[in-house]
This record gives sequence, C-alpha cells and structure tokens, in this order.
Amino acid sequence: MVKFWTILFCSILAVLAGLAGCATKGNFYRDPNMDFGAIQSIAVLPFSNLTRDNLAAERVRDVFINKLLSTGAVYVLPAGEVARGIATVDIQNPSSPSPGEIVKLGPIIKCQAVITGVVKEYGEVRSGTTSANLISVSLQMIEAQTGKIVWTASTTKGGITIWDRLFGGGGQAMNDVTDNAVNDLINKLFK
Amino acid sequence: MTSSTNFLNKAAVILIVGLLCLSGCAYPKGAVRGDAQAGAKKFQIAVFPVENLSGTLSPLKEIRQSAIDRLRAEGFPILEEGILEKFMARHRVRYTGGIDQGTAKAFKEETGAGAVLITSLELYSDKIPPKISLMARLVSTGEKPVILWMDGVGLAGDQSPGLLGLGLIEDPRELRKKAMSSLWDSLTGYLSGEKGEMGIQRVKRKFSPKIVYRSFEIDPGRKYTVAVVPFFNSSDRKNAEEIMALHFVKELTRIEAFDVVEPGVVRQGLLNLRVIMEEGVSLANADIIFGVLNVDLILSGEVLDYQDYQGTLGAPKVNFSVLLIDRKSRRMVWSSDSYNQGDDGVFFFDCGKVNTAYTMTSQMAQAIGRSMVK
Repeated sequence: MVKFWTILFCSILAVLAGLAGCATKGNFYRDPNMDFGAIQSIAVLPFSNLTRDNLAAERVRDVFINKLLSTGAVYVLPAGEVARGIATVDIQNPSSPSPGEIVKLGPIIKCQAVITGVVKEYGEVRSGTTSANLISVSLQMIEAQTGKIVWTASTTKGGITIWDRLFGGGGQAMNDVTDNAVNDLINKLFK
Repeated sequence: MTSSTNFLNKAAVILIVGLLCLSGCAYPKGAVRGDAQAGAKKFQIAVFPVENLSGTLSPLKEIRQSAIDRLRAEGFPILEEGILEKFMARHRVRYTGGIDQGTAKAFKEETGAGAVLITSLELYSDKIPPKISLMARLVSTGEKPVILWMDGVGLAGDQSPGLLGLGLIEDPRELRKKAMSSLWDSLTGYLSGEKGEMGIQRVKRKFSPKIVYRSFEIDPGRKYTVAVVPFFNSSDRKNAEEIMALHFVKELTRIEAFDVVEPGVVRQGLLNLRVIMEEGVSLANADIIFGVLNVDLILSGEVLDYQDYQGTLGAPKVNFSVLLIDRKSRRMVWSSDSYNQGDDGVFFFDCGKVNTAYTMTSQMAQAIGRSMVK
C-alpha cells in the first residue's frame, strides 16, 4: 500500500516537473539591447483587421492610443499626423509596413518607434447555448531608426468561462474586454 | 387623548405655515421676466432655414416657423422673409449650418440684422414612439461672429411613460411641439436678459470619459480660444462628424474658460485653404488652422458609434474619442475615449434609461469639457 502511494506521489511530481518545463516567460518579446527609455514619441499605425467587424481594428487602435498616452510614459502622435506621414511616404500597406518604409516614416513625423498590430478576434463567440465576448490582439514595436522589431506581444481576453456556462450572462461587455486586453499589452510593454 | 389632539393641531399649524412659506418661494415667471426686460436684447434676428443632419425627411419648415412665431409672439423683431431670401440669393448663401465672417459682416451692413438663428436638426423619427433632437444657436453679425446663445433638446415619446403609460407621447407633432417649446423658452429667456439654459448642469458620473490623458500644459486658470473641427466619422450614422462637433461647441460654450469659434467661421477657413483631413487633424493642418483662425486650441476626434434606436426596444449607443491640440507646444494636450449606452447602470424598469443619443452625448461632452479645465 505504501509503495502505491509513493509511486503515485512520484508520478504527480514528474508530471508537475514536466509541465513546469513547458512554461514560458509569457507571450511577448523584448529586445534586450534596446533602450526603451530613449523612446519619447510613438506612432501607432492602423491595425490589420482579421475579424468580421469592419471597425474592430479602429476601435482597438483608438483605445490603445489613449491608454498608452494616459500612462504618461510616452507621447503618441495624433492619428491625423500618422495618416499624413503614411501618405507622404506612400506606404502601400500601412498595417504591415516594410523596414525601409518605417525608416523613411520616422523622420517625417518625428517619432522614435512605430507600433503595428493585428486584431485577430473581436466580438461574440458561441459554444452551445452560451456566448461571450472575446478579443485577440498582437502588436509589435519597430525602432524607427533601424526598422528592427524591438518588442512584440499578444493577448487574448474574454471568452466563455465556467461561470458563463453554468449561469449564463453573456460575459463581459466588449469595451471592458478590450480595456483588459489593452492593459495587458501595455503591462507587457513596460515590464 | 387631549395631548394627541394638541399634537395634531400643532402639526397642522406648522404644516400650513410651511406651505404658506413655500408658496412665497414660488417662481413668479411673469414678474421675473418683467424685471429681466431691463437687460433684454432688442436686435433684429434673421432665422436661417433649418440644417438637416438627421438624414431623413423632416418637417424643417414647421420647425423654422415655430421659432419665428415664438419670437414674434414675445415681441422680438424678426428679419423679413423677403429681405433674407434676397440677401441669401445675392451672396449665394447655401450652407445654413453656420455663418462665416464675410457673410456676418454683410448681414449687418446690408440688412441691419443683429443676430442669426441657426438650427440643426439631429434626429427626427415619427415611428412610435417618436423622437426628436435638435440644437440651435444665436450668432452675432458684424466684424466677428460670436455665439451668443446655444442650446438643444432631445426627446423621445417614451422617456417619461409614467403610471400605466399615461405619459407616453405617440403623436410626433405633440413631441415636436414640446421640444420646440423647451428650446425656444431657453432662447427667449436669453433674449429677455435671463440666463437661459446656458449654465452648467450636473453630469452623471457614468458619462465621464473612460480613458483620459491630460497634459500639465493645460492651465485651468486661463481662458482659451477653441476651434472645434468636424470629427472623423467611422460610424454608420450620416453626419455624425458634424453632430459631434456641434455637441462640443454647445457644451464648451457653457464653460467660462473657453471661447468657442463659430463653426461657420471654422468651416470657411478650412474651405478657403482647401484643408483635407485624412483620419483627423495632422500637425500641418493644425498649423494652418491656428494661423487662420488665431485660436489657442483645436478640438477634434473620431466618432466610432452614434446610434439612436427605432421603436421601443433598444438603447442609444455612443462611442468617440477626442483630442485637443495646443498651438504653443504643437502637441496633443488632451486625449480621451468615451463610450456609453443608454441603458448603462439601468437595472429596474428602465429607471434612469437615456432614450436619445443627443441627451447622452451632451452629458459626455460636458463631462469632457469640465475635466479639461479642472
């Protein structure tokens, strides 16, 4: 009997150790050689929209710009100024510019870094009779001087929880889910 | 028994005295108006045709006529229809949503009118329950057009249903009459020398912006001249960019710290310089606007949602962001994100529900304006 418990205990320990090995530092990357303190102004380019909601990218970008500004750590250029820069450089696809285009854009709008992003999920998801709001976004920061990616992060917030399955309720409001996702991304940026 | 009778007698006497005192505090409308007549404005008013921002077929002539009738009834001089038509034809005035500097000067010189009444219809729905929202402003004529008075009204037939639905308004004409009466009360109040509705009202906390960036460069003790530029419209609502700009003009006009430039002057400035704004105001655009209009701040933003609902079920939805660019630093000194639904914080029997996007946006814009100079 004692032998059985010993084997069970060892197995659990082995499984836990195995799982710990799978752990990562989080789904983001920071260039260790980049001095993020030197970045004073950032341009947030229009995000790419992979969702069915036509305005999803615009909504997330808007919240992200305001949240980033409200941290007081960096200055974010107005969307109109960024649009002027895009038109001047003639960036064909503003949501995924080439390093060369970013190097040209930086001095025109006077920014040290550019943020691009992709909104992968935005809106209601269903599973059986339960529904809830979900958002999935990934961002990357590119240094304007070199066109090099210095930070990337992604997040997924919302979705159907056990609580939703048991009691319904439809999950959190889309605006709250977006706020959570953007907060998570900003935390990863300033980590 | 005797002591309880005495107590009741005393209570009755106190109650009667209290009621008498309260009746003394009652608002004698005629008397106050009479006193206020000392400060009454007696200039001739030109009533512009109503600007239709609702995107639907609406009784524009009736709305304009109600303003004329009310002002005439109160004894305020109105510019004759023939003179106004001839002036508009001579100067090719097609845009009735504002007045530029040149037209304002010509108005004063050629017609003698002291002010122009500009009305913009935001929403008109005659489906049950009917809805109406509109804003009006009185702008002075002469060298520099100044907004003298601005107010608005947003009503829905089902906003005060009352007991057993007795307060429901199903006739759109009745609702229109009620809205017009409230708006022109405010105008005639101003013209009679009363304060009108221009003062700051209490804003509910739920209408405050959700995300705010405010630069320390804003000096709360200073007076700023502001140009409100039409917003970038990403919503499905037609004319939402102009409606939102008008809301901010209205709410900032109520705040002492802001001197708001007449939207007609801003529009003419943008047209003269052929300023095309892609996705909002760029710094190059801002420099031009600062130079031409000689303002300290430019207010603009983006409208993501501006929805009113039809019928009885639903709630209005408004989502927008605002930015303020400072002339001195050439930087954004304010940026905020606001979103609300008419049923936010409503849990029981639609108590506290807001039925029109107008009412909600007015409160949201006022909350922003007040936070800017706090």
